[in-house]
Amino acid sequence: MNRVTRWFHQLGSPPYFDRFAARWAPWLYAVGALVMLWGIWQGLFVVPSDYQQGDSFRILYIHVPSAWMSMAVFGLMAVYAAIALIWRIKLCEILAMACAPIGAWFTLITLVTGSIWGKPMWGTWWDWDPRLTTELILLFLYLGVIGLYHAIDDRRTAARAAALLAIVGVVLLPIIRYSVVWWHSLHQGQTISLFGESKMDASMLPPLWAMVIGTHVWFGGSLLARARADNIRRESGKDWVSRLGREKPAQDASNEPASKGAR
Amino acid sequence: MDYRNYVIAAYAFFILALLWDFIAPRMRIRQSLHDARRQAAQQDAARQRHSNTSSTNNNELQR
Repeated sequence: MNRVTRWFHQLGSPPYFDRFAARWAPWLYAVGALVMLWGIWQGLFVVPSDYQQGDSFRILYIHVPSAWMSMAVFGLMAVYAAIALIWRIKLCEILAMACAPIGAWFTLITLVTGSIWGKPMWGTWWDWDPRLTTELILLFLYLGVIGLYHAIDDRRTAARAAALLAIVGVVLLPIIRYSVVWWHSLHQGQTISLFGESKMDASMLPPLWAMVIGTHVWFGGSLLARARADNIRRESGKDWVSRLGREKPAQDASNEPASKGAR
Repeated sequence: MDYRNYVIAAYAFFILALLWDFIAPRMRIRQSLHDARRQAAQQDAARQRHSNTSSTNNNELQR
């Protein structure tokens, strides 16, 4: 067994995962926050304002990365959910369920910032445009996954039920993605392309990419932190959690080599 | 800055949402560890009581 395969197997062990998450979550949070701070600073104070939209276009620097995250996180959640259902890997159940609240937050940010941008640009806070409506349905799907997971007492049964919903919900992602192509409606078409040429001026792009990278790295930290919280809760009563509780009486979840007790 | 209030509101919401996203799991971990500590303390106390009771019983038997 090579080192990578062994590492994956080890990661399935709850105490090992706890140590891993406790060590890496703060770093990912910190790097994500720093990259986003740079992006926000550039986006707010350095990049020139748009000749048509004025400064309101600066909202795009948080709206677009959040919208991309809202869909990417749902896709990842469905992948974890499928692995959890097929191979019954407990860690994947935990990771899938940890994705849901983060994705819900990003979806809510997308809707709120889009709405705030829409008021001065479209003259309305909300329109039942296909892109907006499908994004709202995505939020409801996230809330459904979260609600289902918390509605059933047995964690594993709950995770499996919620995982099924996550997998079914994936069908919404291409509808959101192509809604602006299929229905020519109020929401603008694709402006920024990952691989092709973007319709935005090149000088406006660096902060956007910084925000895209920053939100992804932040998500990594948040995923590990939330999965760690769920892992500890599920394992409560086990020796390693009791040792962790005993040895860290005054410390918060502070994630420094937190889990010496679990070694 | 044109539309300054809209921009400020959007960024404020973004930052608050991420702050909450940062705080929420830490609170849950803290709560879980607190529960684990309490549970461990209860187990220790029960073990202590059990050993006291058995040593009393042994003394009684020896008498």
